[in-house]
Amino acid sequence: MDLIKDIRQKRAKQKQKKPIKRDIFNQVSGLVRQYGLKESFLNALDEAEDYLSTKNLTFTRVRLKVPVESPLFSLVTKDEYFLAMSIIKKIDNPYLGFAHSPEEILLCKPLYRLNPDLTPEKLTHYDFETLFLHERAKLNRGKTKPDDAKL
Amino acid sequence: MKQLLDSDLELVVESDFIYMPLLFDPEIEKEIQILESEKPLGSPGKPESKSIIAFKGKHFVKALNLQSFINNYEAIDAHSYHRFRNECLRKYRLTREVDGHFLDETLRTILFRIMPYFIKKNKVFNRKKVSDEEILDLIGEKIDIPGKYYIEAITFGDLNALKEILKELENQKPLFKMPENGLHSGPKLRDWLRKAIHAKVLADEQHRIIKSLQIREQFRQAKPEHIAVLLYLADAGAMEIDGFGFNRNNAVKGEYLIYKRTGDYILKDYYARSYLFPDCRVAVSTYTPYRPFVIEKYKHPFLLGHKAGQEICMKNFVPSNEFTAENVIRTLEEGLTAMRYGYNGRQRNGYHSLDEMWVHIPTITFEDYRI
Repeated sequence: MDLIKDIRQKRAKQKQKKPIKRDIFNQVSGLVRQYGLKESFLNALDEAEDYLSTKNLTFTRVRLKVPVESPLFSLVTKDEYFLAMSIIKKIDNPYLGFAHSPEEILLCKPLYRLNPDLTPEKLTHYDFETLFLHERAKLNRGKTKPDDAKL
Repeated sequence: MKQLLDSDLELVVESDFIYMPLLFDPEIEKEIQILESEKPLGSPGKPESKSIIAFKGKHFVKALNLQSFINNYEAIDAHSYHRFRNECLRKYRLTREVDGHFLDETLRTILFRIMPYFIKKNKVFNRKKVSDEEILDLIGEKIDIPGKYYIEAITFGDLNALKEILKELENQKPLFKMPENGLHSGPKLRDWLRKAIHAKVLADEQHRIIKSLQIREQFRQAKPEHIAVLLYLADAGAMEIDGFGFNRNNAVKGEYLIYKRTGDYILKDYYARSYLFPDCRVAVSTYTPYRPFVIEKYKHPFLLGHKAGQEICMKNFVPSNEFTAENVIRTLEEGLTAMRYGYNGRQRNGYHSLDEMWVHIPTITFEDYRI
């Protein structure tokens, strides 16, 4: 009887309606369209790390993310499509799905390299720049105490 | 569709269909790759164009049929269609009201048979019968007709443009060409659409163009000033000269209210005291019943209450049952006579007495009219 019950429960769960998850293409193509990104953005992606290493970013405040509603089913022009696919291919890490602006897209790779274990809650809640600065500060101090991770 | 035609998008026209730029997502890209691997996508100019075509390195998807779009435009965007239609009709003065009113027998009866009776005291007229042209001249003198009607009178008289359109319609020649196959910008298609809708409006109005031509042929010999007067009356639907006037009732086709003003007049009561009654309009409708009534809110011994639109109480009055000039003149005269001269102060005839009697039942009082 337990087996039958178990099977029934599993089947009921499978039949349950699941909310549509926005995939990474919808997220990135939504940003490409919203901000009117062009092919030159790919060059900016390549130069992002060099830029960040030279820039003296100071940790002034904790920035919260501005929420963005990306389309459920994104359809874009051919140029925008290829740009979005190029961005996805270049970044190729799970943080890209949490980016809410072109600046955050630029910070995806460096942030992932600094700490690939950031939780989805932090990625959803805090701006990538804040997270990047925090992670870099931790690295510079050479401390990895759990207490330091106040975020 | 309007946003599409106002945008800077490039559209492809192919075999009378509009093809829109194909939008992409990963699934669509996979489908395109499969389609292209099976068979090359149809390019424009080939007879069997498919749902997706490739043109100059871009993909376009079949959207809508141009002919069907034109034929159903009225249902798709009624507001725009009526705007186009009015523009087109106005351009050729084909608005229904104008041509309809030119043939309106009721209006002609009012202008040329009833009105001369009531304004014949004018020095211009003597005992001889007044011609229609003289009446139109008089109206032109008395009424300040805006200049635009004189300009429109010239367009109205120009039959050549209408004749040409009718000839092409009768030859079943298409008045517009479908756009050529190939790439078109949104604004270019929008211009083509405007011409196509105009042509469709004219085609729909073919029977009306024929009728308008007939009417305008009749008035071809008329002076432009006279046509201007008629155009003005067709638009305005109302006029007043020397206390005589008429109003068109737009709610009921062909119905007019014809009226004559009483002017101020004096009635005397039982004690020969005078009461000054203000001017009012005694009217009769061209629609039954043919009984005179007062248009304004008014009080009078022969009116039951103190409100607008009251019928005048007249003893031994038998209303006519047909609209003719003679019947209207008779009805108006009877109504005016009743109001001005019908009340007898000694007999106190009517619903109300001017003076208060010793057994006075308060109804309507006329003390405010006493001089």
